[in-house]
Amino acid sequence: MADLSKYGRGGSDEEDEEEEEVEESGYKTVKDAVLFAIDVSESMLRKPAEGDPKKPDTTLSPTLAALKCAYALMQQRIISNPNDMMGILLFGTEKSKFQDGDESGRGGLQYPHCYLLTDLDVPAAADVKQLRSLVEDEAESSDLLVASKEEVSMANVLFCANQIFTTKAPNFSSRRLFLVTDNDYPHASNRDARNSAAVRAKDLYDLGVTIELFPISHPNRGYTFDRSKFYNDIVYSSMPSDPDAPAPLTADIKAASSTAKDGISLLQSLLSSVQSRSAMRRAQFSNMPFEIGPGFKISVKGYILVRRQEPKRTAYIYLPPDTDKPQIVSSHGTLVADDTARTVEKAEVRRAFKFGGETISFSEEELAKIKHFGDPVLRIIGFKPLDMLPIWAHVKQNYFIYPSEEDYVGSTRVFSALHQKLLKDQRIGIAWFIPRRNSTPALVALIPGREHRSEEGEQTLPPGIWIKHLPFADDIREPPQTEVVKAPDPLIDAMRVVIQQLQLPKAIYDPRKYPNPALQWFYRILQALALEEDLPEQAEDKTLPRWKQIHKRAGQYVVDWGRLLEEHYRLWQRENDRGPKTMTNGSTKRSGGAAPPSSAGLTKKVKREAEEGGGGLTDDELRAAYAKNAVNKFTVAQLKEWMAGKGGLGKGLTKKADIIEAVIGWFETKMEVD
Amino acid sequence: MASKEATVYIVDCGMTMGETSHGRAQTNLDWALEYVWDRITATIATGRKTAMAGVVGLRTDGTSNFLESESEYANITVFQDIGQVFMAQVRRLRGELVVSSTDAGDAMSALIIAIQMIVNTCKKLKYERKIVLITDARGSMQADDLEAVVEKLKEDATQLVVLGVDFDDPEYGFKEEDKPTSKAENEAILKQLCQDCGGTFGTLAQAVDELSVPRVKSVRPTPSYKGSLTLGNPQEFDTALSIDVERYPKTMTAPAQSASRFVVRSDLAPSEVMQATQTLDGEAAPNGYSEGLSAVKNALSYQVDDENAPGGKRDIDRDELAKGYEYGRTAVHISESDRNVTTYETVPSFDIIGFVDKSQYERWMDMTRAALTIAQRGNDKAIMALSSFIHALYELESYAVARLVKKENNEPRIVLVAPCIEPDLECLYDVELPFTEDLRSYKFPPLDRIITVSGKELKVHRNLPNEDLQAAMSDYVDSMDLATFGTNDEGEPTEYMPMDETFSPMLHRIQQVIKHRAVFPESEPPPPADVLVRYSHSPAELVQQSKSALSRVVKAADVKKVPPKARGRRFGRGKEAPKPLSDLDVGALLAKDMKRKRRRIDPDNAIPEFKQLIDAQDTEEALDVVHDACKQFKDIICDWIKHSVGNSGYGRAIEGIRVMRENMAEIDEAGFFNEVLRDIKAKLLGGELGDGRSEMWYMVRVNKLGLLQDQDATNGVSAEEAKAFLTAK
Repeated sequence: MADLSKYGRGGSDEEDEEEEEVEESGYKTVKDAVLFAIDVSESMLRKPAEGDPKKPDTTLSPTLAALKCAYALMQQRIISNPNDMMGILLFGTEKSKFQDGDESGRGGLQYPHCYLLTDLDVPAAADVKQLRSLVEDEAESSDLLVASKEEVSMANVLFCANQIFTTKAPNFSSRRLFLVTDNDYPHASNRDARNSAAVRAKDLYDLGVTIELFPISHPNRGYTFDRSKFYNDIVYSSMPSDPDAPAPLTADIKAASSTAKDGISLLQSLLSSVQSRSAMRRAQFSNMPFEIGPGFKISVKGYILVRRQEPKRTAYIYLPPDTDKPQIVSSHGTLVADDTARTVEKAEVRRAFKFGGETISFSEEELAKIKHFGDPVLRIIGFKPLDMLPIWAHVKQNYFIYPSEEDYVGSTRVFSALHQKLLKDQRIGIAWFIPRRNSTPALVALIPGREHRSEEGEQTLPPGIWIKHLPFADDIREPPQTEVVKAPDPLIDAMRVVIQQLQLPKAIYDPRKYPNPALQWFYRILQALALEEDLPEQAEDKTLPRWKQIHKRAGQYVVDWGRLLEEHYRLWQRENDRGPKTMTNGSTKRSGGAAPPSSAGLTKKVKREAEEGGGGLTDDELRAAYAKNAVNKFTVAQLKEWMAGKGGLGKGLTKKADIIEAVIGWFETKMEVD
Repeated sequence: MASKEATVYIVDCGMTMGETSHGRAQTNLDWALEYVWDRITATIATGRKTAMAGVVGLRTDGTSNFLESESEYANITVFQDIGQVFMAQVRRLRGELVVSSTDAGDAMSALIIAIQMIVNTCKKLKYERKIVLITDARGSMQADDLEAVVEKLKEDATQLVVLGVDFDDPEYGFKEEDKPTSKAENEAILKQLCQDCGGTFGTLAQAVDELSVPRVKSVRPTPSYKGSLTLGNPQEFDTALSIDVERYPKTMTAPAQSASRFVVRSDLAPSEVMQATQTLDGEAAPNGYSEGLSAVKNALSYQVDDENAPGGKRDIDRDELAKGYEYGRTAVHISESDRNVTTYETVPSFDIIGFVDKSQYERWMDMTRAALTIAQRGNDKAIMALSSFIHALYELESYAVARLVKKENNEPRIVLVAPCIEPDLECLYDVELPFTEDLRSYKFPPLDRIITVSGKELKVHRNLPNEDLQAAMSDYVDSMDLATFGTNDEGEPTEYMPMDETFSPMLHRIQQVIKHRAVFPESEPPPPADVLVRYSHSPAELVQQSKSALSRVVKAADVKKVPPKARGRRFGRGKEAPKPLSDLDVGALLAKDMKRKRRRIDPDNAIPEFKQLIDAQDTEEALDVVHDACKQFKDIICDWIKHSVGNSGYGRAIEGIRVMRENMAEIDEAGFFNEVLRDIKAKLLGGELGDGRSEMWYMVRVNKLGLLQDQDATNGVSAEEAKAFLTAK
């Protein structure tokens, strides 16, 4: 077992041909299942007396705040972790309910006062809908959220969770029980009941489930949650699935306050503590030998901390004729020979390259040998100053490495010494890097990363070393031919003033302030379709510059700069004996009066007309042809030229039929818009 | 970039080319052909119809050319007319370009034939014309027509390259001692010829040497965005700034050629397969060209859940499927006409959001490849305007942050924009920045201090470097400086291994072996060229000079390799039982638990109870208990499989097998687990656990839950046996 994850995930390094793909799928197989267990007691249902009616969040009962938090997390995870599971279990309720398909029929009887609101699964649209109506519709929730008269058995709650995990997520590598409660001492007078709970907690531990506690205090009632009374017997310190995890940074999470403190509502603090625990670290490579110098190695683990989150690709779905519920389709690939369509065994397959109209083939062993540049290693070649690394020296996502004591005892202190030295002197390591067996060797820069913490002391960026892949000569493109017209100093000075007005807060870019507008829009639409709601009209886009601010703060300076540009450009033309060109751009816009409304617009118009005068097609001409179904009377060259002005329309098409189709498609959509 | 080209190779095949000179192992002809094959295969690799080549043999036994009636043109053979070259022709040429038994044949005549071949093909059209003459200059040459040849070469702008076997080249540093006078004279004539027509004259050794230097393929710059760079909104405010710009890729990974999957065609009888892999000249080609191969493709089949279908799944025809998305586990259908509804509508723009400090920017944020932006070409005013922006950014040590939409309805991206000022280029570089959703908030403890559970901060700890280690590491890093380790053309110290001197090892390695195999299918692929692995280790000199610094680090670090797992550790002895935060002795509670005392594993709580049963044993005699626990667990697992609806119970069964396997490896007892697994396999494949359980066995295989081997634990099986067991179906 020990060796399986040696250089990668679960030994999936068999085929590294499609390296990126392997990475992607390897990442997906590490799945996470979260079960919320939310206490529904009298005190959990009590609304804070001093809530601010203007801020609805502050008036929520702790139970509702926890449900809202689960609702938010569920929506978020559909986007960020579409394969992960989630469930919600209420305990202490008057009603009882267990899994629908429970064969024994014992269901609710078996786990009294446990109400399985959402069974553990990849969330479905219906789950989101149900949860939303619960948190938004008081009538709905008042029926369900009724506290039981008798105390719920914690041992039973934990065993109920055990059964849910066992049946629904039997082999997920990460399984977590999020326990939200304000009761620090259940079964206060019954030691046996407490012991039973401790035993059931140990069962969960042995099953591989981590209990994460979200305690709630009520400062206004003079109540502070005390873990030592009961919960320290239930909660274990290390994650069983990740034995070498560094001492948890979040173990000391303070109890959230049921009353809004410093303007932070219970919901907000719950969300942020759920958020801070939401990530299970998924290593991209483990026990990587990090060779600091010849013969001197330590071991590190590698992670991806920044990765572009893409909208889901379209999938095949099935629309059964008898219902309107579309079904998800799963697909299975089989290797078949192209000529006879017979099924092919893996062992028969040979690898061949296309070359000069033929194929050049190698046996698998030969190819493995050819691709072998040595065993996986991260080997330092030497060091350079950080400023020798140009900003463009970048080709793919960065890895993050952190020391591991698994292979070499003492790795952490050596790594730390290197990290501190590089940080202090602003230097980088240059290294030869083979991430997996037979994978493409790379030259990388090792960049020291400083730890960031928020004002509340929460870690926002871990300390470690970043691996940045450097481009090879093959990967660096030549710039196009162009001329240099250096701006005269007064013009530069004028621009400096403009720039100085428009610094971002703290003069840094904070990614946390910029959600991806296209991704958010995509999922809002998808959610609306899934929940059969009206489509939203307007997208929220925080990436749009704050134009009004820019106008207010820098507008006048831009105008000054524009005037200088006019002057200096004329001067330069005279000095260099250049006549005025048709293109008069790069100036400020001055609308109103007799001045052209926008010189950029004007320029484009002039150019477009010039092109059209030269025999190019106009929109109108083509539209007329389209209406008469006669687009094909134009030549490919004419159509391509016209398409060139349509932002990538028909790019890469060469066949006339394809091009005509693209043109027709363009008009079809345009018509709809019109 | 890709202009039409026509190249004629004149290869000297004279008797003297059969010699081996200056201690080389191969004949001079083979040596010369190394160059020729490399160039021709490189041309083939482009796959371009307009990259044409021809081959002329000089001093061949026979004569075959369009002037063959004239005696001056004897012993010259046109082996290959100008045209696109394919592998079949290379194979034929290999049999034709062999050492002859003659010394007759005039290089000048061959040159004239080559010129004429080019004229015939290229007419007056735009071509890159080139003639490469490779010879040992030991045949007789008629130098009378020299002037006419020079004239013609110049007139047609044909480039002449003469590569000589052991020609003198003071620049390259080669001088042949005891050179025959006739060769020296011929060399001189050829050199003069090259000088007169502006051609290249070199010694073959250099040309062959340089073959190993990778050639970087240049790509024509194509803009990824053309439009304005704006600050403010020109539609709304008359104070907005707008400069016409063009954006191009700066870095883009050049991928190594990828291999496709093939199988030997099944419609060929074995003898035909043999034939199909024969070369034209009858030479066997064990693994070269492969007309007998058929492509392999991945055929997809589609299924949906169906309670009524056997196995819970029903096959669906591709035609019955529609397009949609998955929202969680809900399928969302989006009809063809609505498919743009999820698109966030945008218009192309490059819009500045604000400015940030260069010094505060951290490089971990860079995502994706880099691009460069210049002002619209030919637009002097825009160039001047952008120049002021570039210089102002530079002077303020600032970067811009901008929102970029490359094409209509592309997703907006946020990019970091940095200035670049060079004598002949002023531009902006940009790299994409992450959005909120792109960050994963993983947490790791600090590296410069230890925070204990009780909240104390420690500065001295085994995980922290002491002063010795810090000082030694500092010296070592300083001693391994690459910033000035290289040498430039003037012999001055400069950066070692700048990026434009490093070559993608995999890309060029694959190219190298493909080209090699294409010509020499019967031989082993050659080792990688030195230049490809040069930077896989520190330069020896640097290692030498930092040796003592490193040894101080090693001493101060005192790193110890973790020994392979100690064998024979059994049961809970010496193992720290996990405890909750309170250190409550749960083991004692478990021991008192009435239900568990009976050692009957509850199927509903099987995994925890199995583990606890094993953990609770601490004597050798307990082996019986362990054995019994395994058997109980096996029955439970078999039950899960047997009662599984479709594959619903498989996950649980797999987890059970995994847990048992792991625990048995831990207590170093492979036998019990292997017995269980063998039994489960037999039952599965024997149909005892229901029909159609082959997927369950497949899952065992993909999860690599095979027999425990002797390297895993005592009583394990051999690696071969484990493999055989797992692969057998």
